[in-house]
Amino acid sequence: MTTEDVKKVKDKEVRKQVVIPLLQHIGTVCEPIVDKKTEVLIGQKIGEGNDEFSVPVHSSTAGHVVAIEERPHPICGSVPSVIIESNETNDTIEFKTSKNPPKEYIISALKDSGVVELNGYSLYNMLTSEKLIDTVLINLSFSGDVSSNCAPENITSIIEGMNLLIKASDAQQGAFVIQKDDRQLISAIESGLFEEADIEIFTVEQNYSPSMANLLTYEITGMQIPNTCTPLDAGVLLSSASSALAVRKAVLEGIPQITVNVTVRGAVHNPGVKNVRIGTSIKEVIDSCGGYSGEPGKIIMNGIFSGTALSTDEVPVIKSTSHIIVQSSDEVLHEIPGPCIQCARCVDVCPANILPGRIASFADMGMHDECFKLHVNSCVECGLCVYVCPSSRHILQLIKYSKTVLQQLLKYEDELGSSGCLICETPCLASTPFISNGGIL
Amino acid sequence: MKLTVSHPSHIREGVTIKTIMWSKIVILLILSLTSVAVFGLGVLALLLVSVLAAVLTEAGIQKLTNQELTIQDGDAVLIGLIIALLLPPDIKLWIPVVGAFFAVALVKHAFGGLGSTLFNPAIAAWVFMNMSWGALTGSKSIPHIGEYTDLLMEFGAGRMAEVSSVVLIIGGLYLMYKKYIDWRIPLFYLSSTIIMAVILGEELSYVLTGMLFLGVFILAPDPTTSPITKNGRIIYGLLCGIMTVIYGYLTYNYVVAVLYTIFFANAVAPFIEKNTFPKPVNEVPK
Repeated sequence: MTTEDVKKVKDKEVRKQVVIPLLQHIGTVCEPIVDKKTEVLIGQKIGEGNDEFSVPVHSSTAGHVVAIEERPHPICGSVPSVIIESNETNDTIEFKTSKNPPKEYIISALKDSGVVELNGYSLYNMLTSEKLIDTVLINLSFSGDVSSNCAPENITSIIEGMNLLIKASDAQQGAFVIQKDDRQLISAIESGLFEEADIEIFTVEQNYSPSMANLLTYEITGMQIPNTCTPLDAGVLLSSASSALAVRKAVLEGIPQITVNVTVRGAVHNPGVKNVRIGTSIKEVIDSCGGYSGEPGKIIMNGIFSGTALSTDEVPVIKSTSHIIVQSSDEVLHEIPGPCIQCARCVDVCPANILPGRIASFADMGMHDECFKLHVNSCVECGLCVYVCPSSRHILQLIKYSKTVLQQLLKYEDELGSSGCLICETPCLASTPFISNGGIL
Repeated sequence: MKLTVSHPSHIREGVTIKTIMWSKIVILLILSLTSVAVFGLGVLALLLVSVLAAVLTEAGIQKLTNQELTIQDGDAVLIGLIIALLLPPDIKLWIPVVGAFFAVALVKHAFGGLGSTLFNPAIAAWVFMNMSWGALTGSKSIPHIGEYTDLLMEFGAGRMAEVSSVVLIIGGLYLMYKKYIDWRIPLFYLSSTIIMAVILGEELSYVLTGMLFLGVFILAPDPTTSPITKNGRIIYGLLCGIMTVIYGYLTYNYVVAVLYTIFFANAVAPFIEKNTFPKPVNEVPK
């Protein structure tokens, strides 16, 4: 793609409508603070949460509000969204920049800027949770996040973001977690870190998706975290490359989280990384990548192993979108599940060390008490068991189903307080605090 | 534009039941072909009869009960093939027919078909045949690996499975390399057999027969009848090895020892499994 093309795409993008869902985090839906026909600027706050878990939402374009109505959401069915039509200008609100900010400033900046982790948790809540944080981990082993955000020019920003997080959380140390065979990234971070003494690099073998936060913390710190807790309970603030970039932008430049880097792969003409305004529809993102090559069969958001298959390409990009994979209609799997032959291939690959196939068989028969005894709630939903299953059984789906039923049976939502997703009332948050890569579920 | 919505994961490794079964069948077919050199072309009739009986039984049962035909997954073929390998080549041909029917109808389908069997159908059928017609199913010769070339081709073999250990070893290593079978059971089975035999002062030339390798690489790691837990598979392998040597030490027949041992191990596998459930990494403390 030439620079002219890029410019053209950018111009086109600006003129379009954006659909900004008022729910892009774990928590309740934000209240819109703009009305129909209100003129908004880039970066203006358009939705504010009314409970402690909620995260404000900002406009990613300048224009006027066309409507506030329910629109399709990549994960949560349909959600109230603010639809803004651009007026082809790039007028922004006044961004408050700062150099070498104190701790309180960082935290208040994060509160206003609505930075959300890839799993839907708000960084502001994590920093103000009254839990003692002694380590900040930034997970650079999730391939989708790395391919979108770890371009060479971003490395310094990621390290700056890490320093801001360490400062804000009063942590003693920080560490980057990188996959072993990603030599390029390791050397890039190493050369960026030459003067930071308290930041280390850890290498891991696996691809740790955001839902595997507890396992990642265990691998790095050796602390076992029960599936009802988060790394925060062990004093670890786990962040990602995209959040580190967003933190740096929010604190030093004063720009709230209004754009995300999205990698587009698969059956498109020009796959690559795009900087996308939040609220842009997936269709536009794919058009900016040259459009579909061939008949698209499946659009997958956030990970081919555990991502969500979208029912339409009219859904917007949200804060936790990190990559989009398009499968052509020939690539789409059409398999009929067979019987479980107990080959235990799923047991061998399971990172949580449970018996996925057995749990799925019990869930299939409705024996959820047996699933509970077999630790169904320890499942981190990585999707590896389905990947290796020779019978193509719906292991992950059955496990999620069992979690849902158990949650209803055992009334876990009482313990979780209001952190559940209240919009669709299906208790998809189950009892694991860190949910599928999609983020808000 | 039609979009498919489905649950993750959206790609597969590409290993199916078919691949696993048919690779085992190919290895056993190579073994059967090498045995033609020892027993002559007559064994092909035994193979054919046994496999056909197993396949037809499966097809008949699935037709009668209005199930989908699953012959192409290769399980019935594998059962028939193993039954033929476990019998002496000069056996009357109605015995493998009865054996294959017993294996497929009573040991496999009566317990719920593929994936639900308690015993390995071929071994259970062999035990049944051996109990019923012991004089007819006994072999005329017991293999003795006197020289290294006997591993390649053992002319003293009494059954087809004992002809070539090398085919089974190479085939087994291939299956392990491809992860079609688990590595724990073969490793612990073989090593514990050798260690036990050395401790009891047995001659390894009688222990390391083709039947042992068939047990180590094909029969014991049979997915359905072995435990699914990782530690369970280690215990299962150790149990198989120890029992094989004890049985062989007391009866002086290491060929039959392998089969009865795996039959026994199949019976205790659920018990092993139940006591070796893994501890999840992020378990909630009680």
